[in-house]
Amino acid sequence: MNYFVSVEGEQFEIEVNGTELKIDGEVVDVDLAGLPGTSRRSLLLDGRSHAIAAEGRGGGVWVLDLDVGPVRVEVVDRAGLAIRELTRRVAAERGPRPLRAPMPGMVVKVEVEEGEVVGAGQAVVVVEAMKMENELSAEAEGRVKKVHVAPGEPVEKDQVLIEFGPVDDEETSDA
Amino acid sequence: MLESVLVANRGEIALRVIRACQELGVRAIAVFSDADRSAPHVLAADEAYRLGPAPASESYLRVDRILELARRSGAEAIHPGYGFLSERASFAEAVEAAGFVFVGPRSETIAAMGDKTEARRRMQEAGVPVVPGTVEPLVSGTDAVRIAEELGFPVVLKAAAGGGGKGMRVVRGKDEVERAFDAAAREASQAFGDGAIYVEKFLATPRHVEIQLLGDAAGQVVHLGERECSIQRRHQKLIEEAPSPAVDGELREAMGEAAVRAAEAVGYRGAGTVEFLLAGREFFFLEMNTRIQVEHPVTELVTGIDLVKWQIRIAGGERLDFGQADVTLRGHAIECRVTSEDPAHGFLPATGRVRSLLLPSGPGVRWDGGISTGVEIGLHYDPLLGKLIVHAEDRAGAVATMRRALRELRIEGVETCLPFHRRAMDDPDFQAGRFSIQFLEQRPDLLEGRLSSNARLAAALAAALLEHKRRDGFHPRTATGFREGSSLTAWQRSGWPWSNGG
Repeated sequence: MNYFVSVEGEQFEIEVNGTELKIDGEVVDVDLAGLPGTSRRSLLLDGRSHAIAAEGRGGGVWVLDLDVGPVRVEVVDRAGLAIRELTRRVAAERGPRPLRAPMPGMVVKVEVEEGEVVGAGQAVVVVEAMKMENELSAEAEGRVKKVHVAPGEPVEKDQVLIEFGPVDDEETSDA
Repeated sequence: MLESVLVANRGEIALRVIRACQELGVRAIAVFSDADRSAPHVLAADEAYRLGPAPASESYLRVDRILELARRSGAEAIHPGYGFLSERASFAEAVEAAGFVFVGPRSETIAAMGDKTEARRRMQEAGVPVVPGTVEPLVSGTDAVRIAEELGFPVVLKAAAGGGGKGMRVVRGKDEVERAFDAAAREASQAFGDGAIYVEKFLATPRHVEIQLLGDAAGQVVHLGERECSIQRRHQKLIEEAPSPAVDGELREAMGEAAVRAAEAVGYRGAGTVEFLLAGREFFFLEMNTRIQVEHPVTELVTGIDLVKWQIRIAGGERLDFGQADVTLRGHAIECRVTSEDPAHGFLPATGRVRSLLLPSGPGVRWDGGISTGVEIGLHYDPLLGKLIVHAEDRAGAVATMRRALRELRIEGVETCLPFHRRAMDDPDFQAGRFSIQFLEQRPDLLEGRLSSNARLAAALAAALLEHKRRDGFHPRTATGFREGSSLTAWQRSGWPWSNGG
């Protein structure tokens, strides 16, 4: 079975056959085990022992606790790859995902208005947490559909701040 | 011996003091904010009382509440830890006025050392070297030339009102002085509306080396050698060690004697630290910290002297039962401060709930922590989660033990600066002891770090995880090579949307 893994922008195609794993043309023995009730995994690659915590985030996304720090990986098989392409196309038609507060804090500034078109990475809301201002930006191009917060309002972690629609969604107000 | 001590602090230092109390047979009384109701220091203490809501201003900084709880619990003494109220002379005074013993120096000592100008004056009087320079602003460029020649080049011109490098000029020769003076004065008046400039001897790449002291009420003061604390990010120490790779026996004696003079000049009682800048073999007084310090364990490991127990014993009126000649250093100790700061994102404070905590153990390893599984890491307090400290026969051995222990230590649920420490221990310059207080400014690669060869490992693990999940779904028992002990729950948690051949 072939898997497609993306690690911090780098792409890998990995073939797994029984106890063998082929990566970058190199074949290594693989053995994976876990500890019940924990996220710890023991991965033996050609006998080399790696103890890693793997936290499943859903959708083929895992956060792995490596010595270099937490690393986000996304893995799909060939069918998954096709489904993901489809999801991406749908997402482009519907606009970016809603912007959520990454931490509890207070809204300092809302930089956009409903109906406004924003680009990927454009700052849209500033949230203050622990006396530090954090600029939050749109993940992709889209049109601001609804602004849920105003300056001075406290927000909880994961609270939806702004909803987006596709850019060409000028007249309609709901998706 | 004191009968009881109220610990007016939280986190790892509160737990450290509580442990010392319990080993001494002293009743340990904790106080807590609402955020810390189930914190390790509360669970460990003999008694615990609520201070107030989570913000420090409504809990750990409430002098009135702390004194009220001390009365209610019948505490004999109050230990301030570090941070919070520990260096407020007014707190020490209030504690004593209310009839409790303050575990620390006299309030006058705290006040004298807290005022930087006053501290500098007292140190000069006691013959402790301070960074040479003027305190009064210079009047002209020619004035600057004269004083710079007296001090010896290089010198640095600094804005009296300044900070952040504005109005600052390093001058290496006589010809440059007047032009630099004019430029610095211009810049200073633009930036701060005040063109006053003073001059100091320029220390290019000094180290931060500090001397640990213990003084008893009878006036005996001993020093316990130095700590090397040059590895700092924005004046925040990250790694400390004892002894310093830059200090030999002769220099240790000279610095120790100066520190003891400094302590005697202010009638020091308890545990304290004199911080110096060390340039070559010249050292200059920076400041005196009138409390226990975060990095005290490295001194404890190389001297075998328990500083926190001595704080409590001295506060109870005991005299030191050893002299300077009895203090010997054995081996080498290193401490890494483990904070909830994310090195991948400019050391931004991180939050979360500790989901899993695997602590290192084995020979030479000590963990002074303030967290446990299930504890919420918020933004109300200092991001220090704990300190990993190791002790070995020599420095190379200590680095090796620390590398090993840093691999064992795993904290899940909140980002930590552990990746930074692992990189630092692998760094040839750190291993060779070649660094100054500018080390991390010169080496941003250690702070930020890169993924490098680990991407392949991550990819291989991801593929193995998904392969196993797939096989688990189809034929749970026939998979060869993939044994997954963590049962289905791990996969259910992963929420894989296209599972089981769907």
